[in-house]
Amino acid sequence: MSIWSWLKLTIALWLIRKAFKAAGWLLLAALAVAVWPLTLLTATGYAAAWLRGWPPARLTRAAAASLAMTAVYLLADAARQHTWQALTMAPARDWAHGWHHVTAPLAWRTFLLLVPLTVPAGFALAALLWAWRIYAITSGTAGLLASAPYTFDARQWKRQVRAARNRVAAPGAVPLLAARRRIPVGGTIRAIGHRWHPVFTIPAAACARHMVIIGATGCGKTNLMIRLWAGWYTAASAAARDGGPRPLLVVLDCKGGPDARTKANRTRRLLHGAGARRVAIWPDEARLSLWDIPPADLAVLLYQMTDTGQGNAAYYADILQAILTLACTAPGGPPASTADLLQRLNDGWLLGAWDDGYHPAETATIHAAARHIPDIALRMSTLLGRLGPALDGPGHLTDADAWYFILEGTREPSVAEAQAMALTELAAHAATSPRTEPRAILLAADDYSAVSRRVPISNLYERGRSLGIGVQVSAQSWQGLGADDDERYRIAATADGGIWLMHTPYPQPVVELAGTRRVLATAHKLTGAAWGDEGTTREQRTWVADPDLIRRLKVGQACYISHGAATFLQVARPQPSPLTLLPARVPSQPAPRVPAPRRETTPNPDPGLFTFDDVFGPGAPRD
Amino acid sequence: MTNDPFAALGLPARPDLDDETVRAAWRHIAAATHPDRPDGGDLARYTAASAAYAQLRTPWGRSETYADLTAHPGYGHQPSGDPGTAPMPAATGPGPRPALPLTRLYAILMIPERIRHGRPLRLVIRGAIAAAVSLAVLRAIPGQPAAPAIITGATLWFLLTGRSDLAPPPGR
Repeated sequence: MSIWSWLKLTIALWLIRKAFKAAGWLLLAALAVAVWPLTLLTATGYAAAWLRGWPPARLTRAAAASLAMTAVYLLADAARQHTWQALTMAPARDWAHGWHHVTAPLAWRTFLLLVPLTVPAGFALAALLWAWRIYAITSGTAGLLASAPYTFDARQWKRQVRAARNRVAAPGAVPLLAARRRIPVGGTIRAIGHRWHPVFTIPAAACARHMVIIGATGCGKTNLMIRLWAGWYTAASAAARDGGPRPLLVVLDCKGGPDARTKANRTRRLLHGAGARRVAIWPDEARLSLWDIPPADLAVLLYQMTDTGQGNAAYYADILQAILTLACTAPGGPPASTADLLQRLNDGWLLGAWDDGYHPAETATIHAAARHIPDIALRMSTLLGRLGPALDGPGHLTDADAWYFILEGTREPSVAEAQAMALTELAAHAATSPRTEPRAILLAADDYSAVSRRVPISNLYERGRSLGIGVQVSAQSWQGLGADDDERYRIAATADGGIWLMHTPYPQPVVELAGTRRVLATAHKLTGAAWGDEGTTREQRTWVADPDLIRRLKVGQACYISHGAATFLQVARPQPSPLTLLPARVPSQPAPRVPAPRRETTPNPDPGLFTFDDVFGPGAPRD
Repeated sequence: MTNDPFAALGLPARPDLDDETVRAAWRHIAAATHPDRPDGGDLARYTAASAAYAQLRTPWGRSETYADLTAHPGYGHQPSGDPGTAPMPAATGPGPRPALPLTRLYAILMIPERIRHGRPLRLVIRGAIAAAVSLAVLRAIPGQPAAPAIITGATLWFLLTGRSDLAPPPGR
């Protein structure tokens, strides 16, 4: 074969290939023009998905919803046509009629006549095309440049974020409670593994298990937590109306400070809106009685609250525990107050209580420890004095629908730690006491790391799990979740209610827990400096929750990881219905007793003591 | 004489009032009714207002009083006098849950309020679009089977998308 012949053959083959390709495109174009109403609606659906960052599922659902139109159309047509042939051929007739005299009004009429069929078909076709486009781009088989997968993803992320923000701005889009007792959290940005819904919801039951929230300061963690609390409270109240246990929300704000007051007030307003009748803020406005705890548990708690040290101190620790047990479990009953306990911590009182001839072992213990009892009394006096009067009663945890405990973990960590221990014990007592009404309890600890030196969060988790209490723990970072990696992994790995990641610079360990997914990566062969049309595709594994995406999350954006899947969402600001909700109604339960607030000294309730100066201020001019 | 401390201070019965509002309300009444006034004031009203203030001066006190009000149906509720806050329907205390039809009726009755507290303008625009499409269809293809189908589609679209423009129902 001569060079000329080879050249002619090559050109002919190239032309044939191109002709076939062009013919294919022309046929497709002709078909698109022929079924122009369908083409128009497919293009509309495709463009909407592209511009709003919708997943194909969104278009599929729109197609499914519009089948109602088709059903009405078929019913109406069946009423007119007398034969099945006429019924099935009616759309084709309408379409063909539109081609007789192509005018704008006639085209409009044809379009309307076919809308009941073309809308579902067009949206379904658009969903298929959009799914194919996403697949082709992400696997690297489409796009003009090698960077197409990344630019496509970045562009779609921006559009998805914008759409999610618009969605949560609607007043009724993200209420506190959705159907089937699910808690709406915000607008879905992107779902990987989870089923996509425009508004992301979690089952209320997830809050009744264990949940971890990690996010740096100022990333919207408080909003998320308050929304979850209010959502859980609303769901649990609804369950209570159907005969379930009444909810009891216990929030430990372990950092304290002025911010905590603001947060507490916001939580209170929202919970009132969600139907809570009594929301107590501790220690500012309400008290609790530590002395409600059963005597044996109380003795253990008082012992644990005391810093006993190591080494030789263990000997004194044993004495401390023995004396506290004797003081708390004395035959006359447990102590009712701090003063009562301190009164018991002397050998005279203890012997009076135990030396009745029936308790020789206890009496011997008191004699043996007699010289240490004044020291123990001093330690207890100091400890209880530092704890303050807010744990000295009166008041019970079950008196309120929700408690917001402010622990000054930043300012006074040791006091806050002791308080956290006591409050956790009170919650455990409320969950297990056979004498109190059973309650559905959610114990939420915000910035628990501030007080976790002596009570690791894992203990809290394990206790919560054994008592049926939902536990929610938040931390500002992975490192803040526990003292060491072992504890951190233990906490994160047991969070069966899910893990929330907000903006954090070190999401890697949690991302690893979420696992990986399979993706296709295509490598293209370079021909000189150009991107050739040859290459290979291979399967790769990538993180379900992209750590770089998590690092770049903006304020209010979160990633929910659960069951090896992740959903990115825009958290909606929690707001109760402006129609102000009715309080929770529990048919069989009488209204709980009014919890005893701290006694106010001023102003005196006696109205006669109000003077004119109280009204106008000192030195105010008088007429 | 009312036994509602909120009413005694002329305030709406809301647990989320702030300290300043309550104090301002008490000062206003106290200045007008104090017995030291040259005209003798109004001792009964002053006493009631002062007692109410003592009860409502802290957030906890307001929370408690609100809880008591809602727990005892005998207490009355004052309508909201503050135009800046949302009105509150009369709260009911613990009692048997209303039957399902009544709940539904209540939900239907609340729709105007939900519209008012939602995004009424957007709702009107959506409604106008749905109505315009329906009218255009009736004008372009009267009597055709596609007409009721498209009107159904427009109505469905309005209902599905308009829901988010309503304020959440009570209890949500």
